[in-house]
Amino acid sequence: MINKLIGRTSVRDNIKLSEDPSYPIFKELYEKQKKAIWFPEELNIQQDALDYHSLSEDEKDLFDTAVGYFCSSELLVQNVLVNSFFPLLTDPHAKMSFSTQLFMENIHSDFFEIVLQSFGMDREKMYDVAFDDPILRKKQSLIVDEIDKISYGQIDPETLEGQKQVLRAILLNNIILEGIFFYSSFAHFFALKDMAKMKNVVSGVELVLIDESLHLQNGIEAILIMLDENPEIVKDTEYVQDIRDVILEGTALEIEYVKHKFGDRTILGISYGELERYLKYITDRRLQELGFQQEFHITENPLRFLQKEDVKKLINFFEVSSTEYTNY
Amino acid sequence: MKRTVIKRDGTEEPFRTQKIINAIFEIIEGLEVEDDYELVFLIMKELDLKVPERVSTEELDRLVLKAIEQLIPRHPVYDTLATRQLLKLINKRIDRRLDSFRDYLEKGFEQELLHERLKDFDFELLEQSLDFERDRLLGYFGLTTMNDRYLMKNRDGEVMEKPQWFFMRVAMGIGNSNEEIIKIYNKLSKLEYLHSTPTLFNSGTVTSQYSSCYVSVIDDSLDSIMDKARETAFLAKYAGGVGTDVSRIRATGSNIASLNAPSSGAIPFIKIFDTLVNSIQQGGRRRSSQVVSMQPWHLDIDGFLDLRETTGNAYFRTPSLNTSLWMPDEMMRRIDQGEPIYLFDPGECPELVDATGDDFKKNYARRIEQAEAGELEQFRQLDSQDFFKKYLFKLAKTGHPWLIFKDEHNRHNPCPEYSVINSSNLCTEISIPNRPDSTAVCTLASVNLSKHVKEDKSDIDWEKLVDTLETMTRGLDNILDKNFYPSEAARQNTMDLRPLGIGLMGFAEALIDLDIPYDSEEAVILARKLGAFMRKIAYRTSQELAEERGAFRHYREMEEQGEGYDYPPRRNAVLLAIAPTASISIITGTTSSIDSYFSNIYSRDTLSGKHIVINRQLIEDLEEKGKWSDGMADVIKAHNGSVQYIDELDGVIDKELYKTAYEIHPRRQIDIAAAFQESIDQAVSKSLYIDEHLREDMEEIYLYAWEKKLKSTYYCFIDKVVKGEKYTEKVNKRGSRKGFGGGGAASAANGDSSDTSEPAEAGTQAELEAKARQKFGDEVVDEALEADADSCPTDPMLRRICPACE
Repeated sequence: MINKLIGRTSVRDNIKLSEDPSYPIFKELYEKQKKAIWFPEELNIQQDALDYHSLSEDEKDLFDTAVGYFCSSELLVQNVLVNSFFPLLTDPHAKMSFSTQLFMENIHSDFFEIVLQSFGMDREKMYDVAFDDPILRKKQSLIVDEIDKISYGQIDPETLEGQKQVLRAILLNNIILEGIFFYSSFAHFFALKDMAKMKNVVSGVELVLIDESLHLQNGIEAILIMLDENPEIVKDTEYVQDIRDVILEGTALEIEYVKHKFGDRTILGISYGELERYLKYITDRRLQELGFQQEFHITENPLRFLQKEDVKKLINFFEVSSTEYTNY
Repeated sequence: MKRTVIKRDGTEEPFRTQKIINAIFEIIEGLEVEDDYELVFLIMKELDLKVPERVSTEELDRLVLKAIEQLIPRHPVYDTLATRQLLKLINKRIDRRLDSFRDYLEKGFEQELLHERLKDFDFELLEQSLDFERDRLLGYFGLTTMNDRYLMKNRDGEVMEKPQWFFMRVAMGIGNSNEEIIKIYNKLSKLEYLHSTPTLFNSGTVTSQYSSCYVSVIDDSLDSIMDKARETAFLAKYAGGVGTDVSRIRATGSNIASLNAPSSGAIPFIKIFDTLVNSIQQGGRRRSSQVVSMQPWHLDIDGFLDLRETTGNAYFRTPSLNTSLWMPDEMMRRIDQGEPIYLFDPGECPELVDATGDDFKKNYARRIEQAEAGELEQFRQLDSQDFFKKYLFKLAKTGHPWLIFKDEHNRHNPCPEYSVINSSNLCTEISIPNRPDSTAVCTLASVNLSKHVKEDKSDIDWEKLVDTLETMTRGLDNILDKNFYPSEAARQNTMDLRPLGIGLMGFAEALIDLDIPYDSEEAVILARKLGAFMRKIAYRTSQELAEERGAFRHYREMEEQGEGYDYPPRRNAVLLAIAPTASISIITGTTSSIDSYFSNIYSRDTLSGKHIVINRQLIEDLEEKGKWSDGMADVIKAHNGSVQYIDELDGVIDKELYKTAYEIHPRRQIDIAAAFQESIDQAVSKSLYIDEHLREDMEEIYLYAWEKKLKSTYYCFIDKVVKGEKYTEKVNKRGSRKGFGGGGAASAANGDSSDTSEPAEAGTQAELEAKARQKFGDEVVDEALEADADSCPTDPMLRRICPACE
């Protein structure tokens, strides 16, 4: 088994870049990520301090939990990447693309850490929230338990079974965690800004979103390439069904979580009903991106305020931190 | 799902759709719409998803508003409806507390919010002059912004002004007589012109601080630096933006005589202002802001260029400050012609700070000779083009510092005997002589040109424009005597020079009305004509005012000394300044300043949240041609707000009219600013919008701005290249690859067709149910079996047994 994206590697291997890369897409994604690099210091986060103290209890809880969740999850993403599949990447450009992702996760941790410090939040509680909150824990466990099972060392990438395991790890990390769980929390942050609250923090989250959508693409590309290189995988119906099920399980857990948070009331003008539909919409997209059929057939994003993230932005830069400059 | 509404008094009643439908019909009333039922249906559909099980009447009102707001990008009619709904909410809240305009005034005096001075006026007459119909002129973004920050709040933080009361209160703080107040009120409430934000906040209130900008000068002494820090704190507190020139502060390594030790230079001192500005919140309604300005021959210029970098030593970074370069012609010439530039220490070469034009050139040349002869303690020689490249790279990367032309500002200084012009303000439209003991102040207002187009759209309504400009000139001049000056230096400058800043917004909107593309020679010609016209009327009025009230003090003093200026007496040393009008153009719902439309659909991030802005003129045009639909809206959105590459619209509309900011070459943007600048006695604040592919040409673009004799450039917008995943629009990331759909055998994953065939049956319904009970427990399964369309389970297995999902 040679010339596959995932394989056994040694420190001597894959240290030469080629002008004609085997996987040009990773070179492109590396370039895109490079251009997206930003630093938390660009945002004037403490400008939001007054806002923070005027949030209602529900809003504060939502904000705190989202921040806490990201605080621990950003580094979790790193762990998963490093412990499960990074050492198995055989292509230097793919390595550059994924290690840029690793670097960006640092920036995100750094950013959320600064948020946490700026408003005097209880750091212990924040970092623990993802495992203390029973429903959040289920979400984290879905990722962690599975990755534990397939952590590196126990995988033989030269076998079909090994390839399947790695694919599943990438899926859990880049698609379910970054592409569904994170997208759910993004919506909570954007709803805050829509109500003119916590604008500078949310400007940072807008940048996180740009990064995460690139990471998501890293994952999608890796999976599609692996499927191409291992045509046997899609013939294994049970495996394919399992993959689909685990995506939907992630969605179900996320929906359970927003139900628990929003219940029978609205926060920031959004309701459980909208969020549920939104998550189904996002899930359908993820499924289609991987070549699956849609599950829920929701064609429109019900959270229409998110359109504001899709169009060109003009920022009153002396009022809100600008996110429109490139560092490169 | 059964839903309950909790009323204000705590009682509960079941949620009734009909009641809300009626309320929506109420706000539609009087609007010309094709199908009001369809409108209501769409709004109700949005709302249905939003209303939770238990909801208070207040929250319900807000949700109705949100539901309408979500539909705004579809059609301007939703903007109107959202505005009406918001207005209803505002009025409802105020009516609960206040009976009338009179009542509001009385409460305002009682709570010591309104200025005693207002008591001189005839409340009854003014009340009769209010015209609530004019609320209809406001758009949703404008009204939201007003409600959030501009309408006055009582001591408990509750809004106590209706929009028309607000306009009247502002007018009462400006006019000197009942007649003048009514005149100003009429103009403001018809959105024909607006005063700058601080005036709208504070006019007629106990905080009578009307001015937008202050421009101060720091001398080369610790005394002066600390003095100016104190002054800045007070200026910032009262909602002014502060510009500060730091060119006089000696450079790193320069000798301090009293200590016989080297100085640590200008940069660490600038850091003081960064901390200061960050600590002052302007009542939460506006952030205090400051720009520091330095001349680029200063030896500390490298550190200055790095102030807004985000990495490096935090002591030398000023994330909260803005920066600008005060660039002399001689240095631009050297950049243009590739001759080296030299950096000096203002401690050693103090004459360079004040010298302008040829005088600067002479002194600069002399210092260069001395430097080459080894006669100077400190200097550096740089390749001018390397320097300029590096500077423009910083500009593109951090947005700072802005480029402003020292000599062009000073060439038009009407009072050179008073002082040189030492720097401009934050928004770069100010050009007023100032000194360490005389801080320039500018009080601004801007014409809304879009309200000065003749009804048949054949031309500008010049007569109306005369009337507006006269009202503005007189009103602004009144303000100078009612204004609160946070520092003595600021009062001094105003009393000596009485500067005004009359500007313009809605230029691009008016152009479309007149059928003139922004990107055309015709637009440049109109800009030139408008600038000259504004100057003519403003100056004429100021000369009349000089007869009535006297010329500005410095003019008279010079005359008394027998060294009078060679122009006729006028009331104000300067009168015109084109400001960016970022906030007030939102309130009036027009394009900002003299800028083009940013895009035909875009989002705007302000202190009042994030709003979608659509080009109403384009939609009206498309609608007239029968081309507007949800589909078209999506197509335009997918093109990032551009219509240039939508083939379907070829020959349907004049695409040239709807070019967006990045689609108009910066040269043209500069041409238009330059045409205005010919007549504007202060400066034109011009943001440049540079498409990513023109980044290579930035040197040429900024040299062109200098050649065209712009006084100022402002923010440099560069289109961001990397964007996030689109949220509301599907992007095919997979291409033609099949992914998991490639197996064929796996029926759960058969390809990318969008057919709706369900996954393969894993057995009979009963088997499935048993399996599900095993996996999820009875409770969950029972719930799934009874589910209706609102509460379908998400688990794939449960979905297969859920009747509604079938």
